[in-house]
Amino acid sequence: MHPVEIAIPAGTAYVGIVRLAVGSLARAAGFDEERVDEIRIAVSEACTNAVLSNEAAGSSEAIVVGWSEEADRTIVEVGDRGATAEAEQGGVLDSQGFSSRLMMSLALIQELVDDLAAEPRSGGGTTTRLTFSRP
Amino acid sequence: MELGLDVRKVGSHSVVDVKGEIDVYTAPKLREKLIELVSDGSYDVVVNLEGVDFLDSTGLGVLVGALKRVKAHDGSLSLVCTQDKILKIFKITGLTKVFPIHSSVDEAAGGAA
Repeated sequence: MHPVEIAIPAGTAYVGIVRLAVGSLARAAGFDEERVDEIRIAVSEACTNAVLSNEAAGSSEAIVVGWSEEADRTIVEVGDRGATAEAEQGGVLDSQGFSSRLMMSLALIQELVDDLAAEPRSGGGTTTRLTFSRP
Repeated sequence: MELGLDVRKVGSHSVVDVKGEIDVYTAPKLREKLIELVSDGSYDVVVNLEGVDFLDSTGLGVLVGALKRVKAHDGSLSLVCTQDKILKIFKITGLTKVFPIHSSVDEAAGGAA
């Protein structure tokens, strides 16, 4: 399959659209339904973090989601224009010992992907790369 | 994308039946509803997730926030969920240790302290 790129406005209402598209792409790539759900969760979390990161940085630039397939794996890249995750996350635990939303989000992503990487994006922001091994 | 929120009384508990996807866009609606319930004096709350297709970290944050609010009034917040894909979210984030999770509303409304 050729690479697919989806650009959504940096608004919370559009994350659901990415989930719909990613569900279809994952099914077409041959993942079973359980893995399709997990991929939707991981990519949705990455998009949510990107949207909130752009909002926090005052950027209205689009969030770009890239879907590409290699021989044995699928790679999803989510690009934002926000500050780095480290800078935005603030406290890891609140006063009552609960994890912040971002910490829970990162825990979900890390558990559900086969590999996770983040690197500075040219022009500012971060590209988060989620890798899923294909059956 | 719509989030369905219906509130009913089961015994002394207020039950919120949630339908649809709880994500960064819809979670604020759930947060408002739960704040409203506590403000109106409902401190024993059951959130029924059986009609939920998707739950993300924002939704978890809302549930944790609501738990803190009811606890401040010596209340309780229990969940109803039997769907593996939703339970998985609670397990990964360690929240199965924080929320009583029941398999039916009757069990949650009867068993929650």
